[in-house]
Amino acid sequence: MSKIALIVASEKMDKLFPAVTLATTAAISGWDAEMFFTFWGLLALKKGYEPSGVSFDYKAYEGKLTDALANGSIPDWKTVLEQGRATGRIRIYACSTTLGMFGLKQEDLDSFVDGIAGAATFLSKAKDANVSLFIS
Amino acid sequence: MMADITVDAKFKSCPGPLIALADTVSRAQPGQVVKLLATDPAAPSDVKEWALSVGHTLLATEKSGDVYEIYVGVSG
Repeated sequence: MSKIALIVASEKMDKLFPAVTLATTAAISGWDAEMFFTFWGLLALKKGYEPSGVSFDYKAYEGKLTDALANGSIPDWKTVLEQGRATGRIRIYACSTTLGMFGLKQEDLDSFVDGIAGAATFLSKAKDANVSLFIS
Repeated sequence: MMADITVDAKFKSCPGPLIALADTVSRAQPGQVVKLLATDPAAPSDVKEWALSVGHTLLATEKSGDVYEIYVGVSG
């Protein structure tokens, strides 16, 4: 069984989309996917959260992405994530340190979050991953 | 080539076509042939790798204009 481990440290659309695309594609290909949302990435796990746009340097291209979302050529990131999670092979962890920094509790997070984890816990889940990425 | 089920994912970008195909294949019967219609240039290669990973069979890839017709045989 192959595995991908992703650390997601940004909630910008241009970071979330590739992260969930890789996790979901891995999951529907029979891989396990471990996702650790930390720092600004944690914001994407808040209940009802909508991504706040693309990274500052690429604001000029934001319209390209919103157009693609509007016409359906690119699916919404949360829809992609839900489709991957339906396989039961994606696990999502919220970084405990960042959670405390934002003053959030687990009940503030979306129901698709599997749990709160620290660095050691995530490392133990990621140590046998075939692909490991830090997306920021 | 004849197909039992057709999935139309034209004008959908990665990972849309593969998600749609995987969803349909998961509900298909062993032995059935699923045809994916896609315009995403990555689709032929993505479907090939996916089929290899999950044990289904890539039967054929054809191109009609800008549209790929990718045939997958559903395994048991």
